[in-house]
Amino acid sequence: MPVPWEALIPFGLLVGLFGVAGTGLNIVKRSQNDWKPPRYSLDRWEEMMMERDRRLTGTLRGQRTDPIAPKEFATNSVWDSTRLNA
Amino acid sequence: MAAPGVFKDRTYSDPNPLPSSVPAVDELGTTSAPLKSASFFIGQYCKPVNDDFMLCKQENQDPAHCLKEGRKVTRCAAELISKLRENCLKEFDAHWQCLENNNQYFHACRKVEKELNSCVFTKLNLTKSIPGTPEGMQQIHEKKNPLFGPLTK
Repeated sequence: MPVPWEALIPFGLLVGLFGVAGTGLNIVKRSQNDWKPPRYSLDRWEEMMMERDRRLTGTLRGQRTDPIAPKEFATNSVWDSTRLNA
Repeated sequence: MAAPGVFKDRTYSDPNPLPSSVPAVDELGTTSAPLKSASFFIGQYCKPVNDDFMLCKQENQDPAHCLKEGRKVTRCAAELISKLRENCLKEFDAHWQCLENNNQYFHACRKVEKELNSCVFTKLNLTKSIPGTPEGMQQIHEKKNPLFGPLTK
């Protein structure tokens, strides 16, 4: 008796399309994080450290182990400011 | 990235270097993951210098008050990082790269951490010990079958 393979097409579509969407999202998230898993549950300390990493290496996830910082690090600090009166 | 409730209007940066009356010190160039990996060793190696700085800060929060102690802290940490790189580069690199892939959680990288700890103990005579551990309780990084591991979410 012939196997009703046409009935399995929807399942195949679901699996395939979920897979494509998931893989695509994973690739996009990783590409924004220097091809590492994205960070999560970040508190103010972690955000401050990541901003320091950006000042040292150029990207939010870049890492380096040199004990001496590049020359620009001494003066490239960035502070947020809020305008208080118009 | 600003504090909650504060609307960021514009950023402010000052390209002028410190005045020449302040002695210059090379800033620490290590980023967050290697620093976290070496944190307990820095804590042990630089304890007197760090305690000096914290006590000085307790007296007076003004940044200009504790510049000298701050320079000592920076130099001590840079010294330890260079020693670590000299002696245990492979284990150090493996540990902080593992941390980077696991949201910088220590409990996900115990295996690599054990190797780093043994290398640092033999070469630099430093042990990792968590300061707040209650008396008689085993250090959490030495627990044989920990509850949390790399796959725990």
